[in-house]
Amino acid sequence: MKFLSIILRSLFRSKRRTILTVLFLAVSIFLVATLQSILATLDGFANNPNSSNRIAVRHKVSLTNMLPLRYADWIRQQSEVDGVMALQWFGGIYKDPSNFFANFAAEPEPIIHIFKEEIAEYSEAEWRDFLRDQNGCIVGEALAKKFAWKVGDVIPLQGTIFPINPRLNLRGIYRSKRSSDEQVLYFHYKLLEEGVPFMKGRVGSFWVRAKHPDDVPRLIERIDRHFGDAVEPTLSETENAFQLAFLKMMGDLSTIIHSITAAVLVAILIVSANTMAMAIRERTTEVAVFRAMGFTSSQMLGILMAEGILLALMGGLSGLGLAWLAAGGLRAGVGTVIPWLTDFTIPVDTMLFCLHVTMGLGILSTFIPAYRVVRRPIVEGLRAL
Amino acid sequence: MVWFLFLPLLPYLAWLVWAALRHPIPLSYNWRSLWQRKVSTLSTAGAIAVVVAIFVVVLSLSQGISKAFVSSGRPDQVVILRPNARVELNSTLERDRSRILKTNPFLAQDAQGPLASSECVVVKLLELADGSGSTNVAFRGLEPEGIRMRTQVRLVQGRWFKAGLPELVIPRKMVGRFANLGVGKSVHFSGQPWAIVGVFDGSGSAFDSEVWTDVEMLMQAHRRSSYSAMLVRLSSPEKIPAFIKFLDEDKRLKLEGKPEAEYYAQQTEAGKPIQILGNLITVILTVGAIFAAMNTMFAAVASRTAEIGTLRALGYRRLEILASFQWEALMLCTLGGILGAGMALWFNGIQTGTTNFETFSDVSFAFTITPNLMGQGVAFSVLMGVLGGFFPAWRASRIPVTEAMKGG
Repeated sequence: MKFLSIILRSLFRSKRRTILTVLFLAVSIFLVATLQSILATLDGFANNPNSSNRIAVRHKVSLTNMLPLRYADWIRQQSEVDGVMALQWFGGIYKDPSNFFANFAAEPEPIIHIFKEEIAEYSEAEWRDFLRDQNGCIVGEALAKKFAWKVGDVIPLQGTIFPINPRLNLRGIYRSKRSSDEQVLYFHYKLLEEGVPFMKGRVGSFWVRAKHPDDVPRLIERIDRHFGDAVEPTLSETENAFQLAFLKMMGDLSTIIHSITAAVLVAILIVSANTMAMAIRERTTEVAVFRAMGFTSSQMLGILMAEGILLALMGGLSGLGLAWLAAGGLRAGVGTVIPWLTDFTIPVDTMLFCLHVTMGLGILSTFIPAYRVVRRPIVEGLRAL
Repeated sequence: MVWFLFLPLLPYLAWLVWAALRHPIPLSYNWRSLWQRKVSTLSTAGAIAVVVAIFVVVLSLSQGISKAFVSSGRPDQVVILRPNARVELNSTLERDRSRILKTNPFLAQDAQGPLASSECVVVKLLELADGSGSTNVAFRGLEPEGIRMRTQVRLVQGRWFKAGLPELVIPRKMVGRFANLGVGKSVHFSGQPWAIVGVFDGSGSAFDSEVWTDVEMLMQAHRRSSYSAMLVRLSSPEKIPAFIKFLDEDKRLKLEGKPEAEYYAQQTEAGKPIQILGNLITVILTVGAIFAAMNTMFAAVASRTAEIGTLRALGYRRLEILASFQWEALMLCTLGGILGAGMALWFNGIQTGTTNFETFSDVSFAFTITPNLMGQGVAFSVLMGVLGGFFPAWRASRIPVTEAMKGG
């Protein structure tokens, strides 16, 4: 640590160069951190620990094909099953398509049981009101805030998939642990069934809750075998697998993001190596003087390396700081277009990854020029300029 | 897209050209100076090349998606849907309405009758070839007129499906992306095998992402009694507003008509997430690349103080020095830009897909690196050169002669 002042002094020997390099690093790391966090956030949906005992059952041909509602009766009788709920994506528009949010028609009674983890807090009185009113609906607090809804308001939805335009009475507002779980509206399945002739006795999917996560694979297998030869065969999968399929549909985002990350890291390596090479070349004489005064070459190497790593770390940390500041903006901006990103944060893992990467790049970019200057004979170094 | 960014810089660029032509510090001086510092030049150009390559690839991605939809519609055709349905998948259209519409006087005729096709659109899960799972693909059932009405679609292999037989025709773009698709193979659904009898090419339109079959067969297989939507051709594009009004007001129909071109243009929304992400990446990377270019140019100026002093002593003025260094920065960045545009060519022709959540089905498209896109990439690097080079060049022009001559 006694060399710290030497390191700092030499780092700021050319202030402009150091600042520009730090800015470049900061911007690049900001990008890498943001992209990786987007990926991590999306992956989080497909690895939701809360949903470990939930199964989604749908038509084997596609999600747009309907299953008979009576399938629920058989599923409910299985010993491992804790609860079954018919769930239908309604896809209604509130005033304008840009106000997108998830809205489902669901069998009302089981909602709070099946989504126990998501619908964490709600008032009993509001819940009873919702059950009693077939035109009622419940929404998450974040969604209610976004549109300034309060209990008692009428929410008109325009059906896109289904030819009805329900006017729903807001009966309750629930709170969840994650804000993305509060971006949802549920209303009575009966309303959809009675309003749309072709939905009579049919539904897009069942959400099944198993008593224990270990029962899930067996249950999936049993349901699909039972309905395998039926006219409407089923495809069951864990909720996580179901979500993953949705993310996959957006395209191969992870390949795109990983290749951009790789390209940016290469660019960082090139630029910081260039900076360090310039910084070290300037000091050939200086290094020779230090060594003439009795510093060993490994001490000099250490000092130079520390300088490179410190430079990289300054860039990396400010990049992470930027990313952290921007996360809020991104949540508000991109979150409205890609609803999955409403929970966007920079996860700790991503931060650690970025720090490791910047340190690695600092070491890589400094080592070669530093090694060369240190191995140079002192006499030659002294004569260099 | 990039071009309008140049507008504010136009006078400056014009002045630079004028300066180079009129009072030249020869450009070869700058070119040779760049090669004097090979490592530094190449590494900066390399970083810029990476940025430009990403820029071009991202641009081609979002253009590929837009193109799929924009090139799908004809100006004289109308898609008829259930009101509020927005897309064919969500729409229903009863048989009797289809019959009423087919005798409508607005419709264009050819030798075989009115140009109208009642169609059925459903989605099915198909397995991807790379083993990463399956995705929803649109299946379209058409009447024979429907094929003739899509003039951009042509058969490239095999034959069209026959009415009344379980046969499919697939787009060429899907052949490599999905498992087990090809002439002679078959897809199993609704309790029977559907033979693939032909491959068509939709020349980049949205139809390149659809599997086509006979409408009656598809409806039977899904136990549907009503069509999804109808496509009709009018005798002239000017009649579209009157026809749409007629659809809306006729008591028997109560349907919504949308000009086909507009219908597909609305669906370009599918590319929005990728576009937003792409723009974000490009802006951030550009800022970074400008810093890198500045760094290199500042170093260049610093190491050539004596040279600058000599130039000044020879009688070159401040502005000429400014122009000269600005040119050097432009050369550096353009070199990177050309490299980057070349690198982007590696991606040319790669097939990929995303899902249009509106139609709930897959959109196949290819990265197409056109000369125009590459040009935009290079233009982009010029922009970086102007922004990244200005401050160092300004500084070079401000160095006092006496001090410059002393330094070294």
